[in-house]
Amino acid sequence: MTTARNDNVVVRSLTQIGACGIFLLTILAAIPRSFRHGRETIRQIWFVGAMSLTIVMTCGLFVGMVLGLQLYDVLSIFGGTSATGTVVAIAIYRELGPVVTALLFAGRAGTSVTAEIGLMRATDQLDAMEMMAVDPIAYVIAPRFLAGVVALPLLAVVFCAMGVFGGHLVGVTWLGIDNGTFWSNMTATVDVHKDIIDGVLLKSIAFGIVVSLIAVFQGYTTPPTSEGVAYATTRTVVASSIAILALDFVLTSFLI
Amino acid sequence: MTDDAIVRIRGLTTVLNGKTIFDNLDLDIPRGKVTAIMGPSGTGKTTLLKHITGQMRGDAGTIEVDGQNVPSLSREKLFELRERIGYLFQNSALLTDFDVFENVAFPLRQHTALPEELIRNIVLNKLEAVGLRGAARLSPTELSGGMARRVALARAIVFDPALILYDEPFVGLDPISLNQVLLLIRTLNHTLGITSVLVAHELAAVQKVADHVYLIANGKVVAQGAPATLASDGSPWTAQFFGGKIDGPVPFQYPAGDYATALGFPGGKA
Repeated sequence: MTTARNDNVVVRSLTQIGACGIFLLTILAAIPRSFRHGRETIRQIWFVGAMSLTIVMTCGLFVGMVLGLQLYDVLSIFGGTSATGTVVAIAIYRELGPVVTALLFAGRAGTSVTAEIGLMRATDQLDAMEMMAVDPIAYVIAPRFLAGVVALPLLAVVFCAMGVFGGHLVGVTWLGIDNGTFWSNMTATVDVHKDIIDGVLLKSIAFGIVVSLIAVFQGYTTPPTSEGVAYATTRTVVASSIAILALDFVLTSFLI
Repeated sequence: MTDDAIVRIRGLTTVLNGKTIFDNLDLDIPRGKVTAIMGPSGTGKTTLLKHITGQMRGDAGTIEVDGQNVPSLSREKLFELRERIGYLFQNSALLTDFDVFENVAFPLRQHTALPEELIRNIVLNKLEAVGLRGAARLSPTELSGGMARRVALARAIVFDPALILYDEPFVGLDPISLNQVLLLIRTLNHTLGITSVLVAHELAAVQKVADHVYLIANGKVVAQGAPATLASDGSPWTAQFFGGKIDGPVPFQYPAGDYATALGFPGGKA
């Protein structure tokens, strides 16, 4: 009995992953057709990107401040407080920036994309487009997917900038680390290719693809009921969070 | 069967979740006429419209629309066909991101490169026809159910399609709007020769507008004919449906076990 239930869970999960993969191919095939709806893509970038700026900037600032405080506390034991800026920057660039931004993005933008598409499904808007000979994958799904892939790396860059600023605020302004030491140690240690391009950009592009795919897939395949939309938004957060952290480990193991 | 049929359905069989919706159904929609499809709730009237538009596919049978077998069409060909079909959804299905004007303009913007002025004139013309020109800049959330239905109707006719499918077009309309919509359906049919298919329950409205009525029950056409004569054709199906009787060939109760047993009374049938 238990085995049968486990089999069902495994089969269901694999079926979902397979369906998600096929959905990704469908979206990729529709992207050239979605270019004629360029304004819709820009509108979505504004919605998922610009509208997420406040939460990303605020969280970035506080993460940097906390990191600065904790590292100063630990490094002061070894008399190495001058390395605070370096460690804050590397921790943010390599891990916290892309990962936390992606988690925030899944919660802020991913859920709203899922709910919006799910409600469009529930109110027959997607069927209405089909009936008007307008492909909803090209008009609704692809622009939202592209918007996520474009917006997340940009948000991650903003998060990192705010994080470093937060570390500086605590380390230099509050705790008295020398300003020149803070910046010079950081710039001497941070590697543009390894920390910025691989750490921030590559990871956040990968997270952008995964989170956006999960969000649009959950919305598009949700049962057309209020309960279905509620479950779909929850699944977006849960699946995205797991996928981000798992993918982060895989990417880090290749990039390090 | 009609010689000049725009829709020709033969041997349509559809089983959904173990329930037979259509059982070898044959049905013709005559070109240039108004045809009503009536029947008890849950009998598959909306599902039939979805088969005609290719939104759903049956398990067997053919559905020809203008000579093309819909189930075998590629997606591109299906979209080409749908550009010539107007569809009024039961719940209007207006796009909530757009206002009334943009909802009606949406098909024009997607499929044509008409100048803005011409699009504006066409949209205002259609909105005037449904009595909502003054509501052009309202959001769908500001409309009543009846108004939303009329906007959806304006959108469905914006291309002056060859075939319009109306799913419950009279629900939620006040008597004035109802007469206006009836007149509009008739006018579109008379002046432009547009074929109309209505799924409706309102016999009085259907009698005013339809040329032909199909009564569907148990997956088949159980009666058909002119609306004026159909209600009195003596068939037990029409007698029950149009007379609103609980007893008759169409069961009022959804299939279920014995009621007394379900309530836990002793002596119920097993």
